[in-house]
Amino acid sequence: MKSKTLVITIAMFLMIAFAAIGALADTKKSTIRIDGMKCSKCSGSVEKALKATAGVEKVEMSLDRKEAVVEYDDAKVTEAKLREVINGTGFKAVEEKSGSQ
Amino acid sequence: MNKILLAALFLFAPIVTLGQDSRPVPLTFKDIQGRYVRLSDYRGKVVLVNFWATWCPPCRAEIPDLIRLQREYGSRGLQVIGVTYPPQKLAEVRRFVQEAKVNYPIGLGTNQTKLLFTKNEELPITIVIGTDGRIRDIIVGILLPEEFEQKIKPLLK
Repeated sequence: MKSKTLVITIAMFLMIAFAAIGALADTKKSTIRIDGMKCSKCSGSVEKALKATAGVEKVEMSLDRKEAVVEYDDAKVTEAKLREVINGTGFKAVEEKSGSQ
Repeated sequence: MNKILLAALFLFAPIVTLGQDSRPVPLTFKDIQGRYVRLSDYRGKVVLVNFWATWCPPCRAEIPDLIRLQREYGSRGLQVIGVTYPPQKLAEVRRFVQEAKVNYPIGLGTNQTKLLFTKNEELPITIVIGTDGRIRDIIVGILLPEEFEQKIKPLLK
């Protein structure tokens, strides 16, 4: 009986520990301004490349504001990597005007 | 029940057939060197018809990758063909191609050229043509390495 209680206690402890780790790995949101994104015909490549990046959960592009709003798992991908991906599509991720939540 | 099944088959059959029976595309153009390029000349090869423009940043960004793919997989039956779209000035295209050291044929395309393959207006856009001359896939946007691995590499020798 005692050993059964011990097993249940350990299982509950592990569940709480995993939930805490999960909460720490929160989704992050970054707004990245993109230089040179003028043509509506070719901006789809930025969205495509970002969406194909491991850890990226959601991408919203705005041609008017020339920016990408990216939601991502910061345990899997960094904002620096997202900038690298954008730069790889021929555009330029602007450094100073970005922000993350 | 059987009647419903038959009706469903009748409704969807044309869609399936369209995908399978697409005839080889009769593309012929003069490249920037003045040579005639016919898609049918590359029968037996896997051809990537890449629509691009000099003013399109992702198009320019993927050209070094296309040059590398042509160099690395040319011996395995890959042939890249670049077609500018929308129409551009020949001198401008020539200058770009020379500077980028493009190792595959480049032609100047028109709306009709692109309509042979797709109505999609995005750039770049790459049409994957199988060894039989038929369209296998249309890759919209920059060609990602994983797309090459999954959609093009299995078609090569």
